[in-house]
Amino acid sequence: MGSLQLQSIRKAYGGHEVLKGIDLEVKDGEFVIFVGPSGCGKSTLLRTIAGLEDATSGSVQIDGVEVGHVAPAKRGIAMVFQSYALYPHLTVKDNMGLGLKQAGVPKPEIEEKVGKAAGMLSLEPYLARRPAELSGGQRQRVAIGRAIVREPKLFLFDEPLSNLDAALRVNTRLEIARLHRSLKATMIYVTHDQVEAMTLADKIVVLNGGRIEQVGSPMELYNRPANLFVAGFIGSPQMNFIDGERFGDSAKTVGIRPEHIGLSRDGGQWKAKVIHVEHLGADTIVYLESDEVGPLTVRLFGEHRYAADDVVHATPVIGGMHRFDAEGRVINSGR
Amino acid sequence: MKPRETTMDVSEIKRPRRWHILVFLLPALIVYTAVMILPLIETLRQSFYNTVDGQYAFVGLGNFQVLFGDPRWAADFWNALRNNCVFFLIHMVVQNPIGIALAAMLSIPKLRFSAFYRTAIFLPTLLSFVIVGFIWKLILSPIWGVAPFLMDIVGLKWLFAPWLGRPDSALIAVSLISVWQYIGIPMMLIYAALLNIPDEVIEAAELDGVTGWSQFWKIKLPLILPAIGIISILTFVGNFNAFDLIYTVQGALAGPDKSTDILGTLLYRTFFGFQLQLGDRSMGATIAAIMFLIILAGVSLYLFAIQRRMRRYQF
Repeated sequence: MGSLQLQSIRKAYGGHEVLKGIDLEVKDGEFVIFVGPSGCGKSTLLRTIAGLEDATSGSVQIDGVEVGHVAPAKRGIAMVFQSYALYPHLTVKDNMGLGLKQAGVPKPEIEEKVGKAAGMLSLEPYLARRPAELSGGQRQRVAIGRAIVREPKLFLFDEPLSNLDAALRVNTRLEIARLHRSLKATMIYVTHDQVEAMTLADKIVVLNGGRIEQVGSPMELYNRPANLFVAGFIGSPQMNFIDGERFGDSAKTVGIRPEHIGLSRDGGQWKAKVIHVEHLGADTIVYLESDEVGPLTVRLFGEHRYAADDVVHATPVIGGMHRFDAEGRVINSGR
Repeated sequence: MKPRETTMDVSEIKRPRRWHILVFLLPALIVYTAVMILPLIETLRQSFYNTVDGQYAFVGLGNFQVLFGDPRWAADFWNALRNNCVFFLIHMVVQNPIGIALAAMLSIPKLRFSAFYRTAIFLPTLLSFVIVGFIWKLILSPIWGVAPFLMDIVGLKWLFAPWLGRPDSALIAVSLISVWQYIGIPMMLIYAALLNIPDEVIEAAELDGVTGWSQFWKIKLPLILPAIGIISILTFVGNFNAFDLIYTVQGALAGPDKSTDILGTLLYRTFFGFQLQLGDRSMGATIAAIMFLIILAGVSLYLFAIQRRMRRYQF
């Protein structure tokens, strides 16, 4: 069990409003990711759910129970921090068991639960060690284990992979995905990394400037961004934005994803000059400058022999255009 | 350093002698040797010499035999050592726990005026011991002191006693004055150690339900143990070297009836003499040597037995 309802959550520090009315519903067992640029309020929102910050106004309900004035430990949540936040003076086992011990759970039961969690995270060989004797990845697994042991209704992750190196990040990401499947628990996860968001989430919440820009599945956000911000934030390389007037479209801005543009040497819609080419093996990223529509980024699959100063023709894929009005809202999506 | 000449054969290249290191160390070394090491050696040497039949001569452990063997010397010495231990114990059970408690209260984020409290509590440490001693003599004086007057206002005059003048309470009174003066030091050190604990660790504890007192005992206290160890050793060294406050409050005789006599005051009277007592440099040096050994033993115990077992945490 673990559903969450947020109703018009506002949070202000002094006169500065960080959260400007957040409404959100998370269903039991969902993996929800808050994503957005730094300072968008995603961590503050997570901390408000955890009870580490009090909302200035609005209501937080977990399983239909208002928890606005409930102590963090009594909300039935567990949180994994970016810096792991392990207790340096306790062994891995005691780190994981402290919450249960504090709650007065009998010792054999603690042993059993810690053992089970350690098994899931392959931490058994390290149970007697202290955090200082572990690597970054192991520490983060201990932090996750500490959360699992408490069997919370809601798992909260605050950028848990940011302190890990790239290879470890992929592994730990897979581990979290696996964990979500096996525990079937509700998880809320904060990140600024859109790859993490796209790969892990059932539902992504895009935040910007203390407001929710869009909520949807990864593919919904990719295929049908509701506004310019989401269109630009999701997808890498970033979507091309072209002034609508430049090719006689009624929309203020037209967006085309780099992978939705075809290139040809012989002919096409827009003539352009190649500025720079990045060969990534699986992809080739071509940067163009076109007189008609300005700079364009094109992502081609596989290897292509374009070089700087080549003259090429770019053609958008049919249905690959996103049209936005003057306020940045989508007019009608491409597909 | 300039790079060496490139014409030199490769095999000849060795690290240049870094004379500048020695040059930079020299001033500190000279000063430290002159004011610390030489006097220490000279004092230790002097404790093995005495005047025999008008001649200055080596007497081996003779001075120590006198100090521990002669009933009058021994009585004075053991009295001073016992008082010194009481002085130290009072600091350990009053000054340091209160210092830790003050630091814990200062680190409460919601506390208002915390900068003011911090400064106010630390201020006595900055005052000269002469001023502190004088102030407290005035406060506690039964004749024109402000303490009996203030206690009278709240109806507690019956509790007042001339604490500094009574042999059974004088040592405690002087110890507490010293505690009052120096409490800012443990407070500041612990405060710094507490600030060093990352917020996220404390938040993790909040989420684990470890709050309030149990948070202090289970999370914060273990993490500030190294700082408490340092405070203990600083207190130890400070207390067994103490002299100034007793001298200003109770005089060189450490009255009443030597009830506040500690090793520092005993050393002073022995070495320099006081009133009818003549100064005795050899016996003074002997007492100084014993003090040195006591402090050395305490510091060694801390460094080799306690500090090695203590973990320092990286966050």
